[in-house]
Amino acid sequence: MRASPYLVARLLLLSFLPIFVVESKEVKIPPWNSVLPHSINDLEAIQSRIQNSFYNVKKSVVSVVAEDGAGSGVVVSPEGLILTAAHVIGESGREMKVIFDDGSQAQAVSLGGSELSDAGMLKVIDAVPEFFAPIALSSQSAVGDWCFALGHPNGFDLSRGLVLRVGRVIRKKEETMQTDCRLLGGDSGGPLFSIDGEVIGIHSRISQDPEANFHTTIESFHSNWDYFMNEDLHTFQAMQRGGFLGVYCEESTDGLLVLEVVPDTPAEKAGLQHGDLLTHLDGNLLDSREKLTILVSSQSPGSKIVLDYSRESRDVSVRVELGKRNSPE
Amino acid sequence: MKFHLSSCFLLSGFTCFLLGDLNEKHDSLPSELRINGGSITKILGKYKDEILQSSVKLFRNDKLIAQGILVDSAGYILSKASSSVGARTMRTFNNQSFPIRIRKRDERTDLALWQVLGPPKIWETVQWVDLNQSTALGTWSTATGRAMSEIKLGVISANPRIILREGGVMGVLLEDLNISTSGIPITEVLPHSSGDRAGLIIGDRILKVDGRAMQSTDQINQLMHNKDPGDLLTLRVNRKGKEVDIRITLGHRSVGFDLFNRNLLMSGPVSKRRDHFPFVIQNDLPLEKEMMGGGLFSLKGECLGINIARVDRVSNYTLPYPIILPVLNTWLRELR
Repeated sequence: MRASPYLVARLLLLSFLPIFVVESKEVKIPPWNSVLPHSINDLEAIQSRIQNSFYNVKKSVVSVVAEDGAGSGVVVSPEGLILTAAHVIGESGREMKVIFDDGSQAQAVSLGGSELSDAGMLKVIDAVPEFFAPIALSSQSAVGDWCFALGHPNGFDLSRGLVLRVGRVIRKKEETMQTDCRLLGGDSGGPLFSIDGEVIGIHSRISQDPEANFHTTIESFHSNWDYFMNEDLHTFQAMQRGGFLGVYCEESTDGLLVLEVVPDTPAEKAGLQHGDLLTHLDGNLLDSREKLTILVSSQSPGSKIVLDYSRESRDVSVRVELGKRNSPE
Repeated sequence: MKFHLSSCFLLSGFTCFLLGDLNEKHDSLPSELRINGGSITKILGKYKDEILQSSVKLFRNDKLIAQGILVDSAGYILSKASSSVGARTMRTFNNQSFPIRIRKRDERTDLALWQVLGPPKIWETVQWVDLNQSTALGTWSTATGRAMSEIKLGVISANPRIILREGGVMGVLLEDLNISTSGIPITEVLPHSSGDRAGLIIGDRILKVDGRAMQSTDQINQLMHNKDPGDLLTLRVNRKGKEVDIRITLGHRSVGFDLFNRNLLMSGPVSKRRDHFPFVIQNDLPLEKEMMGGGLFSLKGECLGINIARVDRVSNYTLPYPIILPVLNTWLRELR
């Protein structure tokens, strides 16, 4: 069948019209959102945006001091909640000292966190911090974004003050992201900010490659906020002792996509399959891999959970008796 | 004509493809788009050329040891004194080599002035600028890298300040005594410190340092403060009633604390002299210790100062232009 000239014309119009519209509007991408800055002016625009944000947030960054070392952290609420790294707090309920940028000090106590993502929380107990930084919502940061890292490498130094590093997000997956902001010991737990001055990550590990350091994503905090605030520090050790399901998952916008079901595990017995989309565990929304691991392994082997998932757009609910993790040989 | 047209289409198609590709979401940011991946410093254009033309690399026995900047059209080069010791030649960005000799050196700033030897020539020199230090934090800055035409990018990263002398340390804690005729007792020896390596033990009483009697803790501290890490001293100590002489090589203050030790290991080679400067600005550029002595430049190629120490993997110190100016002017006046 030959297409009528009328149809061809309509198709042509349809395919060209959107282009004309875009061009007539003259879309201008700000230099910090474009793939590459094109001129010195662009670089200067990025610089002044970062400088503005830096002056807005710098008083929220603290040095965290324990007997065995020093890290950094960032105050994120008027009540004095501090986001930091799990390896900076070490355990829950520990008394620590925080130092603000003007050298004043306060007592803080460690709350919870997770060694999986290296997320940790602290709370100031004997002072009301004057400044706190805004945190980004989930999925606000992406690969290529400009960002800046703040912290106290080598510990607190009043005359030096905070140390600023500027970079871009070079990788981001689940609970970890990498940037080319250069980090050093003492930076751990310090904040990674978006160009607009919102916390998008927390410094975690220093890479051998100085231009690809690791940060915990703010998404990891959002997903496990209540657990980190009120419960415990989830350790690798607790994970070994706790309940076990037996699935490998990947995060997606609708839930956790099952990539693999390990043979002879509770997951297999419950009938889970590759491609299932896990959505809730005991009514808790599964919005991160880490949350599934924490919810499963904070229960003891033998306890029963209710798992909701969807398979081929059909919602299913199963009761699963958790097993025991085979300890690594 | 037909041929031209089709190749135009091909070209534009190719560019579209490239741009489309870059705009897509990547698993990881392609390395050329990272801060020091090369694409960003390309936009500096003619300013990059100006930076390269007024910068040189200093060599000792064909080994790159430091960088320098041309500060006078008669061929005077400014560099970091303690890094450029023994330099014999300099190379320009286009790999021309010239013999050089040292003319001046200043202990306070760790600056040295070198002169290019050979037939007279008019040299391109740096254009100095005084950075407004109160608003400097976060300002882009650039410096020459290891490769001949390489430029590194970073920012001013901390408060400008005086860097005090670090002094050497023994890595021991002493009892605080105002006056003692029977020596100053050691109350703690930090593991792996120079005191530990020299064999000092808790309870040793320090009687003399290099033959001088020590009567107070302050006296010992003051003496150490005026020594450098690496200095060799002889201690006379009273150990359980017996007097023994112990030779000790002083260490860095930082060593002895785990965090600092690890950081030193993570940082790779750092400048030998990285303390005791009259005033510095700090930057986060990824520079190696052989890049010290070179200039720190603005995006428009103006020279803000001289990179004077690689301190660790997140910090370099730069002597700002106002500190350099009086030293340089005196030298040039004397030489002309």
